[in-house]
Parts: sequence; C-alpha cells; structure tokens
Amino acid sequence: MSAVQRIAREEWRQWSRSRLAWVSSALLLLVLISTAVLTLLQVAQETASRDALQRQAHDTFLSQPARHPHRMVHYGHYVFRSPSPLAAFDPGLEPVTGQTLFLEGHRQNAAMFAAAATGARLGGLPALSPAVIYQLFVPLLLIVLGYGAVARERESATLVPLLMQRVSGGTLIVGKLWALGAAALLLTLPVAVIGLWATVAGDSGWAALGVTALCAVYLLAWCAIIVAVSAACRSRHAALAALAALWIAAALVIPAVAVDAAARAHPVAGKIDADLRMLADLRAVGDGHDAGAPAFARLRAELLERYGVDRPEDLPVNLRGVVAQHAEAEQKRVLDGYAAGQMTGEAAQARVARRFGWLSPVVAFATASRALAGTDLDNHHRFLREAEALRFSFVQALNRIHAEQLVYTDDIARSRDVDAERRTRVDPSAWRVLEDFRFGPTSAAARLQAAAPALLMLLCWLLLPLAGCAWSARRLETSP
Amino acid sequence: MMRSSITRSLWREWRFMLRERAMRLWLWVALAASVIAVLAGSIEVTAQRTTIERLLTADRADRAAQLAQQSDWGSAAYYASHLTYDPPSALAFAALGERDTMPWKHRIRMLALEGQIHEADVANPELALVGRFDLAFVAAFLLPLLVIVALHDLRARERQAGRFELLMSLSDDRLWALRSGLRGMAIGVCVLLPGLVGGVLGGAPWAALGVLAAVVLLHAAFWSAVCVVAATAARSAAVVLTALIALWWSTAVLLPAVAGAAIERAVPLPAGGEIVLLQRETVNDGWDLPKETTMTAFVTAYPQWAGHTAVARPFEWKWYYAFQEIGDLRAAPLSETRRRGIAERHRLAGRWAWASPPALVERALQRVAGTDVDTSQRYLGRVRDFHASLREFHYPKLFRDEPFEPGRLSDLPVYGPVRPR
Repeated sequence: MSAVQRIAREEWRQWSRSRLAWVSSALLLLVLISTAVLTLLQVAQETASRDALQRQAHDTFLSQPARHPHRMVHYGHYVFRSPSPLAAFDPGLEPVTGQTLFLEGHRQNAAMFAAAATGARLGGLPALSPAVIYQLFVPLLLIVLGYGAVARERESATLVPLLMQRVSGGTLIVGKLWALGAAALLLTLPVAVIGLWATVAGDSGWAALGVTALCAVYLLAWCAIIVAVSAACRSRHAALAALAALWIAAALVIPAVAVDAAARAHPVAGKIDADLRMLADLRAVGDGHDAGAPAFARLRAELLERYGVDRPEDLPVNLRGVVAQHAEAEQKRVLDGYAAGQMTGEAAQARVARRFGWLSPVVAFATASRALAGTDLDNHHRFLREAEALRFSFVQALNRIHAEQLVYTDDIARSRDVDAERRTRVDPSAWRVLEDFRFGPTSAAARLQAAAPALLMLLCWLLLPLAGCAWSARRLETSP
Repeated sequence: MMRSSITRSLWREWRFMLRERAMRLWLWVALAASVIAVLAGSIEVTAQRTTIERLLTADRADRAAQLAQQSDWGSAAYYASHLTYDPPSALAFAALGERDTMPWKHRIRMLALEGQIHEADVANPELALVGRFDLAFVAAFLLPLLVIVALHDLRARERQAGRFELLMSLSDDRLWALRSGLRGMAIGVCVLLPGLVGGVLGGAPWAALGVLAAVVLLHAAFWSAVCVVAATAARSAAVVLTALIALWWSTAVLLPAVAGAAIERAVPLPAGGEIVLLQRETVNDGWDLPKETTMTAFVTAYPQWAGHTAVARPFEWKWYYAFQEIGDLRAAPLSETRRRGIAERHRLAGRWAWASPPALVERALQRVAGTDVDTSQRYLGRVRDFHASLREFHYPKLFRDEPFEPGRLSDLPVYGPVRPR
C-alpha cells in the first residue's frame, strides 16, 4: 500500500468514527435521492402531458370543418415545449418560462403559464432539483467532511511526526485530496444513474456523460479548494469558518449580485414596450385585412399590370389573399426584428451574469449544467424561433389557399351575402398544411459547445486551488 | 442598582465587540451587503417606474392613432388597447419579490379577456430563476448565516484563550445571552439601517418601516438565541457551527422545498392550457353557431339587452363581442378555480412558513412591500374590473346601434392603478 493510500484510508477511518459525518452524509443523500426521484417523475409526467396536449392541438386543428381559410389563420394553433430528458437532472429555466404558445396570424405571442408564477413559494432560493443540490449543497457536505483534513493534523500535533516519518508534504496533501476526491466521485454516481435514465428516454448519451463529468470536475474543484484552505489555516475551526464564508459568497451572494449586474448592464425593454414601438412600425406596413389600404396600392397596381387587367375582379388570383400573404411577410419582417432585439438583449444579460463564473464556481457550474441539459436561455429562444417558423409556414400556406382557391367577388361579398359566404369555405383537407411540431433537444456537440466557456472557468477553478495545494505542500515541509 | 449594572455590562460588551477584528469585519459585511441590496433594489424600482411612464405615453399615442382611423364603435373597441399596470410601492425596493415572475403590466382590449390576461410580460427568465439580491434576501437568508458565523464560537474562543473558567466564576450564563444578543442585534441593525434610509428617502409610510424594523430585528434576535442554545449543547466550535448551518439549511432550504412540493400536490391547479383552449374553442364556435344561440346565451348573462339582439347581417360587431364574452363566461369556472387555487397555495405556504423563519421573514417583507402573490392577484382582479368597464362603455353603443361620434371616445374608461402603499 502506498503512502498516499495509507493517508486516504486513515482519513476515511476518521470520518467513519464521526457522527457528524454520518448524519450529514445520510441527510444529504436522502434529500438528493428523493429530489432526483421526484424531479424525474415530474419531467416524465410533464413530457407525457405536453406531448398529449400537442397531439390534441394538432388533431383539433385538422378536424376543423370547412370554412374560410383566414378564419383558420385566426383560429391559430397551440404548441407546447417538451422538456429535454436531462431536465430530470437540471430543469434550468423550465419553471420560469412559459411552455404554451399560441400561434396565430399577424402576431407573435408570448409563451404562457410559467410554473413559477403559480407555485407555492416559501422562500427565495431556487426550488430543489438534483442540479441545485450538486451546485449548492454537495459542496457543503464536502466542507463538513474535509475542513479538518490538514488542519486537524496540525491542531492535534500529529503533523510534525507524520512529516518526520518520511511522508512528504506532497504525499500528505495528495492523500487527503485522494480521500475527499473519492467521496466526491462516489457522490456523482446518482448523476450517472439520472444520465442513464435520460439516455434511455431518448436524450444524447454524450450529453448525459457530459453532465456526469461536469459534476465530477465541479466537486473535485471544491475538494481542491477545501484541502487548500484546510492546509492554509492554523486551526480546524478557522478552516471551517473560512470555508463557510467562502461558500456563502460563492453560493448565495455572487449569483444574486450577478443577476442585478446583468439587469443593470443591459436594460431590456419588456414585451409591451417592444410591442408598442412595433405597432407604430406595423401601421406603416398596413392592415392585411384591408386590401384597399393605401399601403397596398403599389402591390395592387403591379398585380393588375402583370395580368393585364383593369379591375381586381378580373385577376386570376384573389387580391385579398395576395394582400394577406404580402402583409404577413412584411409583418413578419418587423416582428422578427423586434423578437431578435428582445432575444439579443436577454442573451447579452445572460452573458454578463455568466461571466461571474470567474468569481464563483457555483455560477460556472449552473451555466454549464443548464447548457448540457438543454434547459438554458438559448434553448428557450430556440423554442420561440421554431414555433415562429411553424406559425409563419401554416399562416402563409392558408393565405396561399386564400389567394388561389377563393373567388374575389365572393370574398368581398361574404359579410353581406350568405351564398357568397358559403362559397368562400374551403374543404377541411386543406388544414393538413399544418406541420407536426415537436421540440427536441439539440445534439451533444452543440450543447458541449454552448457549455465550453463555463467548462473552461470550472477547469480554472480546479487548477487554481490545486496549485494552492501544491504551494501548501511545499510550505508544510518548511514550516509545518 | 440592577439597572445600572446591566447598562454597565452592555457598555463593556459593546466595547469588547468593537475591539474584535473579526466582529468588525462581519458588521461591515452585513452593512455592505445591505447597502448593495438597497441600491440595486432602488435602481430596479426606479427603472420600473420609468418603464410605466414611458409605456403610458406610448400607450396613449398608439390608442389615439388607432382610434383616429376608426369609423364605427365596433372597430374602435377592437383596435383600442389599454395599458394596465401595478406600480411598485415606496417599499418595493426592499423586496422585489414576485415582480420578476408575475406580470405587473398588461395591455388589453375588448376581446375575450381569458385570451389576454395569461400573457405575461416578465423579465429575462435567466435572471428570474436566480432571484434578486434585495434586502429581503439579505435579511432572510444572509443575516442568519452572518449571525451564525459571528456568534457560534463565543464560548470556544474564551476557552481557547484560557479565560472561560475565570469568566464563569465572575458571571453566569446571562453573560453569553447578553454578548450574543448584543452582537446579533448589531448585525441586525447593520442590515436594517440602509433599508430604513432607503424607505425614508422613498417616502414609505412609518407603519411599513416599523414592520420592516421589527421583522429584521426579531429575525436577528431569533438566530442569536439559537446560537446561544447551540453553544451550550456542544463544546467544539466546529460541531456547533456545523449544527447551526445544518439547522439553517433545514429551515431555509429543505423545509420550504418539501412544503412547497407538498402544497402543490395537495392543491392542484387546472392547467392554464385548458383555460385558453376552452376559451378559443368557444369563441371560434361562435362564428359557426346560429346567431340566435349566441345571443340567447348572451342575454342570460345580460338581460338588459334582451330587446336588442337581432342580428341581420352575416357579421355584426355586437354579435362578435357577444361570443367573445361567452368565451370568457365558459372559461370562467376553470379560471376561477385556478385563481382560488393560487390563493389557497399562497395561504398554505404562509402557514408552513411559520416553521421556517427565513421564509417567514421574506414573506412578511414582500407583504409589507406589496410584492407578494396576494398583491399580484389583486392587480389581476383590477385588470378584470377594468375590462368589464370597457364592456360597460361599449355595449350600450353597440346594442342600441348608436351613431359613431369620435368625440365620445374621450369618455373611454381609464385604468387607475391601486394607490401604492
């Protein structure tokens, strides 16, 4: 048995005799396992219920009776965002973003029904999930286990005899790191189990592996911090107080300060604010319901000229449908511009908040874990963009039917003439223009790339305290 | 005699406290955290007020531009949107509370309300997830930890310095209560002072400031007392600190999480999606149903229009708004259940919070700052009332077929917010 192993084994024996270590490990494991099971069940249930609602919405749309195609533009469609399977580890933004989106002509609606707005909230800390437990509380357990690693030897005056028994400072520190690191790796096992479940449920195995590795690296970083602090402090108690202060700053203060800094750095106008400015722009585009509006005069003139006719009634296409198509495309340009502005602003805020990962490993871990689980801001924005693509595709398909299959004279007479109204109804088979919608996770490579900056930060959080450990090891030998 | 001895002990402990470097550090940390929180909260509240001002101006301009183009009452009601909002109170800076996740502004028009009121214009979700660094957060979550870290080793330090036996022979256990109480309260005052300054500058009512002070100081006193008890139970400062942090974790993190999950299970809410789907189906069916069916159903709710429901043409505005209203009426039971469920969840959470001092503190501060769930629900109730007043304004004009007079649009109802407390 090498010296390192001997030291590690001695450390484990210390823990096994400490009631504090037993009780806190048991408590944390209990909470971790029950949280994991509950989150997993919830994600499975949410996925099933949203998939069912999605199918129902799709079927309802297809089963609509014969009617005017523009009625279907306003009838609209609902899309639901399914959580990625790895949300069972980190639900990320799931609870604070709406999962239901109403798609209709001329408008881009906001996602509705965020769970956080209706939840029974007792306090300001984020709701428990496996990710939050790893992010905030497993480090706390490691602190309880490891704060005395080196400080205890120094306090009980066993350090000098140890060092005199041909055990170098380096061996001692590595042994302590080994002991604590093994516990950290053991604690990542539940993540691997969740990852396995997510893989079976259809998520990428590489992403699941990434999440597991992320937890391992993050906890090892904390181990290195703990051993470095323990080696630097004169007493066990000083080490514990220092580590507690460090944890409070890293886990509670810096993430909240990051949020305020982000909100200050890039103020983002709300949706109503953007909508109001947009409405002014949209008035310039013109109301697509009014084919005679001045905004469409040029379109109308061009159309008449192209077909060599004098009156809209003589066109081979329905002028109203053509105008609706044209107006929708123009509106989309404006709407997309504002939506992109909103998303760019939110992304800029998020970037500022994420940069605080250089100040706290907790922030870096949270960023990387959300990115790998596919539950970060970028994924929410992708949901909004995919829903918008679906909206535009079915609205324009309906507008094309409006232009090509409806007779203009019937169309303009339909609010006065009951027979004309009947002739403007289109057979329900036309509603099949609606495409299927399922919001799936991105590839593992894309998620890894999104997590890369935060992973780099975490790597620094691992290497820096390791360097601290190496420095302490040398110092131990000169002045134990 | 007794009194003067207490005063003297207090004065002595005060001087001891200020002489200790570590204690001075914790006091500075508490003060700095509170100052940062109050500044951040004030900036956010100012930003929200500016936003409301800007929105009000843009809202008036947009409505005027829309109304100028209309030539009948029905289109005027269709195209005019109205801003509703819930302005932050004078104490909102101290507890930004649910304003990040719950909407405090809506822009609504006379269409079916259930299709509009669930749209939430809320902040960036990535920021809403973590929560703000506001005074409520400092007072509820950081203050206990600061008290714990500062007070857990008062006895152990005396032991280490070899003065413990001497001290105990000169005094009794009341010394630790006095020392801990004084230091805990000092931390509480450091957290409180910036909040009071901010409140006075912002013009918060004295009663609200009194509640703020009482809550923060009581919370500090509670954790000081807990520290005294814990320190008598164990000799090792490390064990005391670990036990205290475990207690903080159980009350501040574990209990709220467990209670929240249990409450959500006990009080299920109808899915929001169901409400909007039902509303849409009903409104959509309105187009295809015989017009008499719609108008008969409408008259059940509005008997006063019984003689005015004849619809002659394929499209008439009064019929259009009648089936919009029926959409709301059909969704109303579900919507009402959901609202009652939210209120019930909030009530139960309030009861459970008695078992978790940090949660209790945060909720008390949100309540007095008017940023809690109840306030948000009251605001939504006001939006509903305002929407009803829009209908009240337009229905006589539509059903009596009154000629369109743009001048009368100046009598359109104007949304008035709840007077900020």
